Amino acid sequence: MAVAVLSDEERRRVWAHMMRQAAVPVIKSEFRAAVDATDAWIDANQASFNSGLPQPFRGAADIQTKTLLFCLVAMRRAGLLHTAEDGR
Amino acid sequence: MGVVYQHFDSDIFQFRSTTFPQYVKTDGTYNPITALAYDATTEEMAYVRFRAVNYGSGNITCNIGWYPDTAVSGDIIWGVSLSAMTPNTDVTDVETKNFATEQTVTDTVLGTVGQRPHECTVVISNLDSIASSDWAWLRVSRKAAAGGDTMTGDGWLVMVDISYSDT
Repeated sequence: MAVAVLSDEERRRVWAHMMRQAAVPVIKSEFRAAVDATDAWIDANQASFNSGLPQPFRGAADIQTKTLLFCLVAMRRAGLLHTAEDGR
Repeated sequence: MGVVYQHFDSDIFQFRSTTFPQYVKTDGTYNPITALAYDATTEEMAYVRFRAVNYGSGNITCNIGWYPDTAVSGDIIWGVSLSAMTPNTDVTDVETKNFATEQTVTDTVLGTVGQRPHECTVVISNLDSIASSDWAWLRVSRKAAAGGDTMTGDGWLVMVDISYSDT
């Protein structure tokens, strides 16, 4: 099972939300292009990500869990995720 | 000849049930700020009602006080339109009365530091035949769908001021 590419309205909502989170010195349409590219990249690479997961995890975890895993690892790499184990 | 000034904090603006800016409040470091957060991707609008006290003649100058929530560059386009009715004289239904043609101003984000206070001016010449003591409504919108509105993130409307001649 794969996650579907976002509709135009879903991308608009992500775009609006993301612009409230980050100050990036670009214009609005350039910010939207980044949202579109990210969604397209996920669509093109999700199968590769899934096949890279080892068994038995790959077969046991659902799509939401795999998505969360991807996001948490990426957030930790970028310094955006703090856990209880960090002691804060 | 004098000039009449009217000030409207954005806190007193009203909304229709759709396409309205979010009412926001931030504590700030030293003082709280309230504003209307106009979305960057969908046109939103808010309305304020006032009496045209001692309106004499001529255009109405409308100053829009705002700041960018997250943006440090780009342009924002504000739209302002006016609706006026003379009580006991006009025969139009107040609930169906439309606005005069909207006028716009483009303001460029100043940058250097985020969330700087900005002010821009629309000289309202589409006056909807406003007369002294009229009931009047001002509509303020962000033209988010316009190609020239390039600013990322929300535009926070803080206050609106109008001024006009009393003669």
